[in-house]
Amino acid sequence: MPGDYITNYLLSLGNVLPKETLNEFYREFGLNLPLYEQYILYIKNIFAGEWGYSYQYSLPVLPLILNKLFWTLIILLPSTILGIFFGMVTGAYSGWKSGSKQDLTTFNIMIMIRAVPDYWWAIVAVYLFSYYLKLFPIGGYTGINILYSGIGVIDVLYHAFLPVCVLILSITAGNYYMMRNSMLSVVEEDYITTARAKGLPENYILWRHAMKNTILPIVTIATLQFASIITGSIFVETVFSWPGLGLLTTEALRARDLPLLEGIFLLDTLLVIIANLVADLLYPLLDPRIRTGADE
Amino acid sequence: MSRKKLFWFSCLIFFAYVAVAVFAPLIAPYDPYTVSGPPLRQPDSMHPLGTNATGQDILSQLIFGTRITLIIGLGAALISCSISVSLGILTGYYGGAFDGIVMRGIDIFMTIPLFPLLLVLTLFFTPGIFLVAILMGVLGSTHSVRVFRSQVMGIRNASFIEGARAIGSRDMRIMSHHILPNLIPIVTVRFVSSVLHYILLGVGLSFLGLGDPMVIDWGQMIEQAYSSGGFALGLWWWLIPPGLAVVGLSLALAHLGYSSEEFYNPRLEKNRY
Repeated sequence: MPGDYITNYLLSLGNVLPKETLNEFYREFGLNLPLYEQYILYIKNIFAGEWGYSYQYSLPVLPLILNKLFWTLIILLPSTILGIFFGMVTGAYSGWKSGSKQDLTTFNIMIMIRAVPDYWWAIVAVYLFSYYLKLFPIGGYTGINILYSGIGVIDVLYHAFLPVCVLILSITAGNYYMMRNSMLSVVEEDYITTARAKGLPENYILWRHAMKNTILPIVTIATLQFASIITGSIFVETVFSWPGLGLLTTEALRARDLPLLEGIFLLDTLLVIIANLVADLLYPLLDPRIRTGADE
Repeated sequence: MSRKKLFWFSCLIFFAYVAVAVFAPLIAPYDPYTVSGPPLRQPDSMHPLGTNATGQDILSQLIFGTRITLIIGLGAALISCSISVSLGILTGYYGGAFDGIVMRGIDIFMTIPLFPLLLVLTLFFTPGIFLVAILMGVLGSTHSVRVFRSQVMGIRNASFIEGARAIGSRDMRIMSHHILPNLIPIVTVRFVSSVLHYILLGVGLSFLGLGDPMVIDWGQMIEQAYSSGGFALGLWWWLIPPGLAVVGLSLALAHLGYSSEEFYNPRLEKNRY
């Protein structure tokens, strides 16, 4: 189902849209200009803070996105932090004890978690916990009582619980695999043998010696995960009807609302660039060997 | 279950899926695109998985969906691997300015978030299944180029390559007959994992309503069941089967991937009992 907003929606209102209305629409959104002029206009406006107008909401794109960003962060921030943490701890332990019974069990469980797409985990979670067991709400961000008492923090957290759990599951599995690989190469290093020879306790070597060195490659990936706000939550938000950027993206896709999509993806790209920069700046803090030049 | 048994078991499952895809017209009881009964029928002897909201047989849709899903996954992986292998060999073997230009291009390309770009492009073009496979393959190929390139750089100056050059082999022949065979293990591992990746991506795209409306795949089945009442009415036979089909295929491919990685890289297995 390709097509732009007008052919998709306005014309479906009975095919009787007068020509003048169509032309007026094209003129207002600048769609009658040649493509390169549209592009120059777009770039100019971006730098002026004008990210365009959404077709379906008739609202400026930027405030719309920033408003939804807040809701996405509510579920994404805790799940990314916890997911990275769980993934690192289990991955480090698994790599440290590689070949043991615990390692194999965790490894196979993680393969399974990772092989199942997150939208399927989300659907299963809704089906099981909301539909059959009725422990959690089926979707949305607040109950009906919002009409009398306003948005309650507890109520929102209650609605956020399942989406957060599903996100934690998929983020943990991704980090686990990388952390385990990273640990597998560190375990064979000489300084680990030296530490063992000194008679240090195993746990001390694992968390103080090995962990410090395995963490480096993870930093880049972890910062990039913070940036993948849209990709990370688009499916989960859609299944849970959570009113964040992911759901906004799905709605914009279905309505062919291009200005809104452009705005969302521009934000995503900016976040990726910022995250790369942050990772580069974090590196010398974690690894003194990279600190060069200015300090000396 | 030991890894070896798991490997053969996954192989079996994967080829079962392939067989279902190939022989779909023989297995499926109905034509999945025509109405074959009253809508929203519960499972019975006529329709083992019931019918959907328009009265199409769900089991037949599931069987034909295997075809589409596998075409998208295998096609995209094939395209992506051929692009990345040839670029990897060329840049790794020749090096120099050519290598520099291609690598900087890939660096720039890799800062663009892939999934959003894919969404916009499928939205922009008419999303036929082959076009979706090509788009995914081309966009996803950049990630593996670096891996293959570094492998090639490692063997570029090996003595057997030097020997081949000494007896007067041309560059094309060295690349295709001496370097490529050495890449086969890592290419196999990459191929299996990218088939898995692209299948999940393709199903995900259809789930978001970006699938080809002319054909039925599992993502669209899940989407339809989810959005047109199958979920709210508790019609599990509509929603669960396509999901389980995805999960089964993806688990088999995941185990194939990890097993082949260990097969070619025994160091990963060293610490195992």
